[in-house]
Amino acid sequence: MLNSKTVKRFAGLVSVSLLLAACSSGGTDSEASGEINVFLIPSPSSTSIQSFIPGFESETGIKVNVSETPYGEAHQKQLLSYQQKAGAYDVAQFDNSFLMPYCQAQAMLPLDKYLGDSSAYDIGDFGQSQQDYGKCSGETLGLTLSTEPMIQWYRTDIYEKLGLKPATTWDEYFNNAKKVQAAGFGGQIIGFGPNVSWWWMTMVWSFGGNLYDEALNPTVNSKEAIAATDFLKKLMTVSPKGASTANSDEVTSKFLGENIGAMINYSGYYGSVLDKTINKNEGKIGTAPMPKGSADITHLAGWNIGIPKDAKNPDAAWKFLEYVLGKSNAKAYLESGAAAIGRKSITTDADLLAKFPYLAQLEIPSSSRIERYPQIAVWPEFEVAAIDAVTQVLNGKSDSTKAMSALNEKLKPILAKEPK
Amino acid sequence: MRKRKKLTRPIGQFTFGAWALLAVTVLIPIFYGIYISFLDIKLSSFLPPQFVGFDNYVAAFKAPETWATLRITLAMMILGMLVQIPLGMALALVLHRNLKGSKIFSSILITPMLLTPVAVGLTFRFMFDTDLGIINWVLESVGFEKINWLGQQTTGILAVILVDSWQSIPFVMLLLVAALGSISPQLYEAASIDGATARQTFWKITLPLITPTLLVVVMIKIMDFLKLFDTLFMLTRGGPGNETTTLGLWTYKTGFIFLEFSRAAALGVLIMIITAPVYLLWRRSTKEIK
Repeated sequence: MLNSKTVKRFAGLVSVSLLLAACSSGGTDSEASGEINVFLIPSPSSTSIQSFIPGFESETGIKVNVSETPYGEAHQKQLLSYQQKAGAYDVAQFDNSFLMPYCQAQAMLPLDKYLGDSSAYDIGDFGQSQQDYGKCSGETLGLTLSTEPMIQWYRTDIYEKLGLKPATTWDEYFNNAKKVQAAGFGGQIIGFGPNVSWWWMTMVWSFGGNLYDEALNPTVNSKEAIAATDFLKKLMTVSPKGASTANSDEVTSKFLGENIGAMINYSGYYGSVLDKTINKNEGKIGTAPMPKGSADITHLAGWNIGIPKDAKNPDAAWKFLEYVLGKSNAKAYLESGAAAIGRKSITTDADLLAKFPYLAQLEIPSSSRIERYPQIAVWPEFEVAAIDAVTQVLNGKSDSTKAMSALNEKLKPILAKEPK
Repeated sequence: MRKRKKLTRPIGQFTFGAWALLAVTVLIPIFYGIYISFLDIKLSSFLPPQFVGFDNYVAAFKAPETWATLRITLAMMILGMLVQIPLGMALALVLHRNLKGSKIFSSILITPMLLTPVAVGLTFRFMFDTDLGIINWVLESVGFEKINWLGQQTTGILAVILVDSWQSIPFVMLLLVAALGSISPQLYEAASIDGATARQTFWKITLPLITPTLLVVVMIKIMDFLKLFDTLFMLTRGGPGNETTTLGLWTYKTGFIFLEFSRAAALGVLIMIITAPVYLLWRRSTKEIK
């Protein structure tokens, strides 16, 4: 038999254990303790976000836990988490090309109510194209984390030596490249390798074409798309040989490390211009708007960041987004090394423009039609098929008309899978 | 009989944990993979999965990519083995002679085996770079034109085979050195007394006696090429376009890029079916060695 003293001791021990257990389980609940879990994808933007965490934590008392996942598996991990509705993340960085799958899955929390109430974020500081960048079906599912239009980059020293000006049309761009090449340099560079689709679709849009119509029928066999593909091949003749396999990062490092006249690439690569280990042509890099074809388009890319619908602590998550990406910290955010966010207050700031001249290219004229990554869930499959077809043309295995007709047929069943 | 049972019982008990672990990590994923290949699971769709019967298999058979990537896989496999086995054997024969410096030579030769394929793939990607790569620099220095190694199908496949061979030849060599070591020296002495030439000795003694090991090497290499991924992924990512994409890489793209898990599972099952006879042959040839 146990005596009463032992029973009391035992009961006391159980009570203490239960109390400790309750406390520890409360510790893992982000809502109870004011914690948020932030999912980031390694990039200059994510590095900058993390630099604001100590300030945010001391100001609000909300603890921020960060987990970083490389791009190649980040969205797969996010999708798995959202499917399980585990509430694993309160804030998530994502690529704009995943906006549509997230929208279709209703995975993200609409931010419009927060945006409407927030003077600190000040959505009015963005142009319409930027306000719409994270929107799907009329709801804002992601804030703009970076504004990265495709722009023209050129070597000021080479252009000056040859008396050239940044091109305003594609014909001018090609002729400039030809002259630069004749002078013994690389004419121009874009990526004809695994990311060739980025430049190809830009050309298709710029030449007045579209990838598909409103009913999701492919239109890549149009005369505009064929002309765009032909022009892409023509650009190969004025590019260094290595461009044929280069991805977007390699395009940038070749342009900054070698003697190449011009490059068409996303403005987000300006961080590499500031990196002396990559840029061997310091002080000789100029930027200009992308040349125009028959249509005035801006190919706009960049990160989004939002709050998953299953977030355990959405209000604290919004506070965090408001703090890091709000108007008052916008300048510090840019100066901490992130790719710029196209706020009007940033792109028109004289001091910043003097330091980061490319910011001028982020002021997208209202006349320019904005084109984003195709907002379809089947885009990855569409893109692989397009890359394969364009590569056939670039390698001389097929001509543009034949390759684009075949691609058009191939895309029909792919686009038919897109949820209506 | 009873005595035997008594002996085996503790072994069964001790190995139960290992078998259970194997079942959890190997058998369950395989059966689950087969199961989901009959569903329509897409990572981007939050709808409950539906049973679709053999639709994913039919789609895989109908897709030109399946056959194109299978052809590329087979081309790499055949060309790769044509390079790796003769060279591995030649090196094994040299090392088997125990010439001066053989030990240092073999240590140097097995170094590539110790490196991770991802690091090797990335390093060679830089080496094959058309503008800045050391390979083209050497070619240019001796008067040849630059080759766009990774930008064309033929040279891309050659580059993949070259890199894989650089890593795999030491493995082939090591197995064959061991096989050569197991041949009785008396056989060679007898052949020498009978006046056999080096060629005759090779064809009549060495080759027949190392054939079972060679078969094992061939089987392992076939399985290696069927699952070739890391080096290829780092080197070409299956490009240009899909021109160096193997069936394994296509399965990866289907699953992790298109997010079509069930379709990828069906492709995985197809790869398993293709590999099964090779595995059975391998089992048979290893039994023969024993």
